Amino acid sequence: MKAINRFLFAGALAAALPGLSQAAPPDDTIVVGLSADASTFDPAQISSRDNSNIAKHIFASLFKVNFEGAVEPYLVDTTTISEDGLAYTFSIKPDLTCEDGEPLTAEDVAYSFNRAADPANAFTGNTPGFVYTTLGFKSAEVVDDLNVTINVTAKTTLAPGMMAQVLIHCKDSYEAMTLEQAAATPIGSGSYRLASWERGSQIVLEKVKDPGTFDTIIWRIIPEASTRTAELIAGNVDIITNVAPDQVPAIDASGSATVEKVNGTRRMQVGFNLGKGVEGMPGAAEIQDPKVRFALQYAVDVPSICTQLLGAECTRMTSLVNPPNGNPDLVPIPYDPEMAETLLDEAGYPRAENGVRFSIRLQGPRGRYLNDANVVQAIGQYLNDVGIETEVELLEWASVYSPLLRTKEMGPLFFLGQGGVTWNPLYDMSLFSTPDGATNYQSWTDQRWFDDWKLAIDADTVEAARPIIDRMLKLFYDEGPWLQLYFQPDLYGVSSRIDWTPRRDEEIELFAATLK
Amino acid sequence: MWTFIIRRLLQSAIVIIGVTLITFTALQMSGDPTYLYVSERATDEEIQRTRVALGFDKPLPEQYLTFLGKLAQGDFGNSLSYKRPAIEAVMDALPATLELTLFAMMLAIVVAIPLGVVASLNRGSPVDGSIMTMGMLGQSIPSFWLGIMMIMFFGLQLRILPISGHVPFITPLVQGNFVEAFTNLPQALYYLIMPGFAVAFYSISRNARLVRSSMLEVLGQDFVRTARAKGISETAVVVRHALRNAWLPVVTMIGLEFGFLIGGVVVVEMVFSWPGIGRLVFNAINQRDIPVVQAAVVVLALVFIALNLIVDLIYAKIDPRVKL
Repeated sequence: MKAINRFLFAGALAAALPGLSQAAPPDDTIVVGLSADASTFDPAQISSRDNSNIAKHIFASLFKVNFEGAVEPYLVDTTTISEDGLAYTFSIKPDLTCEDGEPLTAEDVAYSFNRAADPANAFTGNTPGFVYTTLGFKSAEVVDDLNVTINVTAKTTLAPGMMAQVLIHCKDSYEAMTLEQAAATPIGSGSYRLASWERGSQIVLEKVKDPGTFDTIIWRIIPEASTRTAELIAGNVDIITNVAPDQVPAIDASGSATVEKVNGTRRMQVGFNLGKGVEGMPGAAEIQDPKVRFALQYAVDVPSICTQLLGAECTRMTSLVNPPNGNPDLVPIPYDPEMAETLLDEAGYPRAENGVRFSIRLQGPRGRYLNDANVVQAIGQYLNDVGIETEVELLEWASVYSPLLRTKEMGPLFFLGQGGVTWNPLYDMSLFSTPDGATNYQSWTDQRWFDDWKLAIDADTVEAARPIIDRMLKLFYDEGPWLQLYFQPDLYGVSSRIDWTPRRDEEIELFAATLK
Repeated sequence: MWTFIIRRLLQSAIVIIGVTLITFTALQMSGDPTYLYVSERATDEEIQRTRVALGFDKPLPEQYLTFLGKLAQGDFGNSLSYKRPAIEAVMDALPATLELTLFAMMLAIVVAIPLGVVASLNRGSPVDGSIMTMGMLGQSIPSFWLGIMMIMFFGLQLRILPISGHVPFITPLVQGNFVEAFTNLPQALYYLIMPGFAVAFYSISRNARLVRSSMLEVLGQDFVRTARAKGISETAVVVRHALRNAWLPVVTMIGLEFGFLIGGVVVVEMVFSWPGIGRLVFNAINQRDIPVVQAAVVVLALVFIALNLIVDLIYAKIDPRVKL
């Protein structure tokens, strides 16, 4: 009876709304549901991952990071590095064009690099920001039609990976545009062109050349996680990002989609703030002792946090380097609260009569990382269990947590995730390139690490630096400033009509996606 | 009347300065927003360069006075997130919110008045009880929860209404693309049903209760008894005599309704992926995109002031006792 009533009700409403039902995407179209809109398509202004994911279908780059996580040539044909390692000369592939038909030459590559660095443009995107800072970008010069030289201030094995982030565009078309036009109506060098952008609703890309399986890519902006899930199950979108762990069973049971889990490159940790920003606070002196920090590694049941709170098995961290680039001799520290208690006793912090060894504050953001608030509270409870009275404080990211991080005043314990890469361990390790570096939020000053860092970064290749890297990672494992948790699992909802495998680095690459 | 209008417009200037000052102070209280616009690897020099580029290096009073000076020229500055004029971002989002709000207001009037009248005419009956129970529910259920439940039922189970999205009507209409606007109209209404109802449900409930109590008060008065004694049909008594007099508090409420609905659309716009001003402001606050927040606040305040002015004028028209 219920089924009949439902049928009649649905029929009546459908009859009242003729021709208005939502259709599933056609076969030549793939639809992706994102949580946030793009803010700009000016290559030098892009700063968010969602924005970059779309732009990488519109613009090509000299190199790209492939699915396996290695850097490989994209527009580049051959590479020559000067003896001092300060000049990279690239020969680009012939017969390249931009979307409007303009030939793409070495002049356009040099223009793309120099335009982003031009202070007159006051760009604030990732390229003129951390990419050029890490690369040590100095200038780009045209050698001839197909050859361009990129000059850097210091030799680095990170160069190709960083250059993979610089999006290439054609000089003539961009010189004819205002900055506002460049932001809204890009002229790309990649496989797709921006066909339309309904701000806040959707972005439509149309294929102009290979690679790319689908003629049309639609990026729909669906901020609410449960709405994204509903759209996926209803068959209106093919891929959704940031699936909430509590919605995984519903998607898997729907029959129309499944959840693909991938262990990402984001390194989740509890940082030990060893600096002056928390000097004098409860617990700040105790965590200065490496033995205390090592003891706490045993206190937190990371596998249970992953399965119970994140809905996935996680890859455990053994250092700040993403697999497979870590030290293979290091194994994840198991959950062993008794061992934690023994080590804390040995470190000189026995339980007092009230059962407390010492007190400390653990701060964490709310809504920044996968189920972060619950994870932080669980960690706080695990620390309480071994006698460390932990006050958990959850803070809003944008206005409170982020400024505290920057000024290094959070903690003494703080929950944090930091993005990493698969193509070079030194990139992951560069968080600790100097004792007072911006990303050394822990103010870790162990001189052994920083002496080795200079040796590692000066090596000609990563392979040559490998013994040093392994030594550094062992030091980080034993005495480092992180309570090492997990590489954050990324959950994607994928429609059963398509074949698509997510990457580890949060990049949504649709070139190889196909219909089943 | 013109004196009244001019006086109200002058008052509105003070209101605008007040809301911008409060917004500015609130957004600045939580510290320097520069860090949101640099990567985590940014050097101190890079942070300082960005701070200067965004204008956050100047003292707060200077920043605010600069903002007011530009505001007088209609310049709200560039959005920090969208890298384009903030007012453009707001005006792009405004039509979608107006569509949703006006549709919800229409529902709140068209559905609530008959419900309130029917309840008052059947006072104490099961019909009255049912309507008042619905009214109580409507005022208790959060709009986002209702929205999600509607998505689950009408979007996923029955699959008769779109789960999320928006088809524009006002934007093409304002741009003079009448064919596109009216071609879009059926789809626009189709996409409006669920978010519109989710926004309006609270107002429907409140207005129905208000109409009911107002009608009950009027129905007990002498002139209604006189009208009935004269043998006028019950429909005419209710519509021409009772409802007309019960109408005044409802008109006041409708005037305030818009501001209330604007506040209520933020969450509903998130749930239904509605590209309106509520969602824009929500994101702008998270991003500390001060120019966008300021532009949105000023635009909404102007809309609210204009609507209140219109309501006051209507009130004077329908109630001869009110003199402007």
